[in-house]
Amino acid sequence: MDSIKTPAGAGTPKKPQIRIRNSSLREQLGAYLFLSPFLIFLAIFFAYSTGRALYFSFTDYNLFSDPQWVGFQNYLRLFSQSLFLRALQNTLLFSIIVTTIQTFLALIMATVLNQKIRGLGFFRAAYYMPSIASSVVITLIFMWMYQRRGLINYLWTEVSRHAPIIMTFLLLLGLLQFIQVYVERRRGFPAQWLDPALFVTSLFLSVLGTLGAWSTGLISVRQIPPVDFIWLQTRERIPAVMPSFLRLPVPLVAIMIQNIFTTIPTLMIMYLAALQGVSTSLYEAAQIDGAGKIRRFVNITIPSVRPVTFLVVTLSLIGTLQLFDQVAIFGGTVPLESVITLSYFVYERMFPGAQLPQVGLASAAAMFLAFFTLAAVLLQRLLIKTEVD
Amino acid sequence: MRFLKLNENGEPAAAVRADGDFDSWLARRRWARAGILYSVMVVFAILFVGPLLFAGISSLRVNPLEYPPSIFLDELNPRNWVTAGRLGRAGSGDVIQGGFAPGAELSFEIEYFVPEDTEVVPPEIEIPRRRPGAGLGATREVRFAADYAELTDPREIERVSGTHTVGDRTWDGMFVRYEIEIEYVGGGPLIDRVPLDALAESDHIYVESTLPASRLERRGRVASFTNVVPGVVPYIFRNYVRLFDEARSPSTGKPLFLAWTRNSFFVAFIRVITNVLFASMAGYALARYRFRGKYLVFIALLFSQMVPAQVTFISNYLLLRDGLFGLASLMGRETLLNSLWGVIIAGAGSGAAMIQAAMVFVMKQFFETIPRDVEEAALIDGANQWQRYSRVVLPMARPALGAVTILTFQGTWNEFFWPLIVLTSPQEVKTLPVGLLAFRQAYGAAGDWGLILAGAIMSAIPVIVLFIVFQKYFMQGVAFGGSKE
Repeated sequence: MDSIKTPAGAGTPKKPQIRIRNSSLREQLGAYLFLSPFLIFLAIFFAYSTGRALYFSFTDYNLFSDPQWVGFQNYLRLFSQSLFLRALQNTLLFSIIVTTIQTFLALIMATVLNQKIRGLGFFRAAYYMPSIASSVVITLIFMWMYQRRGLINYLWTEVSRHAPIIMTFLLLLGLLQFIQVYVERRRGFPAQWLDPALFVTSLFLSVLGTLGAWSTGLISVRQIPPVDFIWLQTRERIPAVMPSFLRLPVPLVAIMIQNIFTTIPTLMIMYLAALQGVSTSLYEAAQIDGAGKIRRFVNITIPSVRPVTFLVVTLSLIGTLQLFDQVAIFGGTVPLESVITLSYFVYERMFPGAQLPQVGLASAAAMFLAFFTLAAVLLQRLLIKTEVD
Repeated sequence: MRFLKLNENGEPAAAVRADGDFDSWLARRRWARAGILYSVMVVFAILFVGPLLFAGISSLRVNPLEYPPSIFLDELNPRNWVTAGRLGRAGSGDVIQGGFAPGAELSFEIEYFVPEDTEVVPPEIEIPRRRPGAGLGATREVRFAADYAELTDPREIERVSGTHTVGDRTWDGMFVRYEIEIEYVGGGPLIDRVPLDALAESDHIYVESTLPASRLERRGRVASFTNVVPGVVPYIFRNYVRLFDEARSPSTGKPLFLAWTRNSFFVAFIRVITNVLFASMAGYALARYRFRGKYLVFIALLFSQMVPAQVTFISNYLLLRDGLFGLASLMGRETLLNSLWGVIIAGAGSGAAMIQAAMVFVMKQFFETIPRDVEEAALIDGANQWQRYSRVVLPMARPALGAVTILTFQGTWNEFFWPLIVLTSPQEVKTLPVGLLAFRQAYGAAGDWGLILAGAIMSAIPVIVLFIVFQKYFMQGVAFGGSKE
């Protein structure tokens, strides 16, 4: 900046003779020169490649011979391949279930955290931590936790061993809270069912009570063998109570849990930014009218963050539709058809190891993926448009 | 709820009870609410950071799959650090690195419990010839400590009677302590580790030893020690030392993890430069210029963000394979596959690329906030278009350039799909995420998770440090994602 020499008089406000907006040929050329690296990049690696993939999807091509035009045959053939159908099913189930759960949980967490207190920034940063590491790092850590003698089965074991103690504690907590609120109301104080001060007392007393019952042997830890649930190397589908077409392969559920875990913080931060723009007077007005926490959440929170919800849902849909990394990293340790997604199907047809690549088939499957992605984006635009009208 | 009457400040009206203690009643609730809120936040924090933290701690274990999982590790006990340092000094004179050098003499003690009515028999001690690790380390030539070390027979040094409890069973018997002397006979190379196996008679139970056993088998009859001359660093960070020591390239013998780290830094560095330069140029044009086809450029920009990587990678892969219109021959190569430049130049997906559409957006958004007056002043001074951009506007865009730098670095560092396509062989051409997958394939099957976890944690450290230092840029990035519409 200081390299620009300022002649005398330039400081005085004076209407410039030449205006920057003047779109002379020179300016047009300048704009395109500035844009040229980006446009060349887009042309080669996006436009050309998309067009080429579309072309390949109508051909029979194995990377070595010349492509042969086959019309819609690849698209028809896809539906006779059980692996593709499985990939389609897995992708759609994964996408819909994960999007629903993580959007909902992110909104609830953001609502809980939407308070004006000190140190929120620190906690927000802590929650964001798992989202900054690469999918490979997180997936490897989760794979390790999903081992048969891993952390997740261990925690599961410990929780079921201590189930009597946990149940006693929860029952005591509910009971004590109920009694206290009742007494407090009789005394004329406007105590709510989740009154924080009484809750702290209930918490303290029920911990004492549970410990007392535990030490006197009234309740005790159950003696059960360690949980040996197989998360990865299994063809089992859960939940068993559902009809078979709605059951999910266990390894896919494992990826779902991991995906929800790593995506929630990002979505939560988006929601938090939106919630901080919602006026508190709305909530206060509703409170005066006697609306409870849940009604305030349904009638104020959800409508006021609707635009962000559309965005969050779209981003989640796109992200989950294109699920690839986790499947590739799980790789041979899980049965392929349990976790295969459209993305991985494309990759697998492109690089099938010992066989010849089926580029046409891969491209056709990729078009499905592009179609779903586009549909998700268009749906969002449409919803926002109807919202505005 | 029925009792709740509120004044205009949203607080319960004080008229509910005539007593003067209503204010303190409310104050108690405020304090309690804050307490509960902080507790909830701490629980969330444990939930989200927990897995990373726990993996970090467990990566110090000899076997991170040892059951039950625990955070109270032998490796984190300062008493063992001192012992490890002492043994390291006895082995090679080096407290920190340890090792086994000519002239070394050290003693190692093991204590067993022998129940009553059982004959006390000294354990059999040997230095096993175990190759370090499976998979990627298997091709490496190793020197075995067994060829240079001489062991004395275990010498009983102490015998105390007492009771021993395992689980809910208690025995009466003897605690017997043995001493083993290990000596480096003659001259030879420095050996980095001396493993030790102690096999006791049946019914003898391992109790303790100079350094705790790394592995116990057959209810404590076999106690294995991965290294009895560790030094402090190899003792605590065993898997991290293995990371740089064990998995080596079969052709060059250099540590793979170092090569991958270097590759990742190189790709990220170049991508940061290209994004800072080209994305800011494009953003500048979009923010400041009026030109024919601007709308079309916008459409292309949006479209490029929507096309899945699985669509574009097919053609981009072929382009690289065929040398990218002869560009490869300029670099003296036939193909750009298995080349870092191939990863950098081409790309698939909008998450990370040489010129990222999202970064163009960030720059455009920022340039629109800079008042035009500055440029108009420069225009009067006769600055041309390039000078107006490079000397006037760009220096003002430092915050946005910071965000582009950080986000590009993170995106590139973590990128997996595209490098996986381009970089397949040899091993040392890979970037960290692809390399870690190779670790998973080589070591995961053998159940050797120590090295995999150590690699994962190590590879995450640069972005974690970046995140801690430049947190606000990351948060801006997310918030920006939320405000794109």
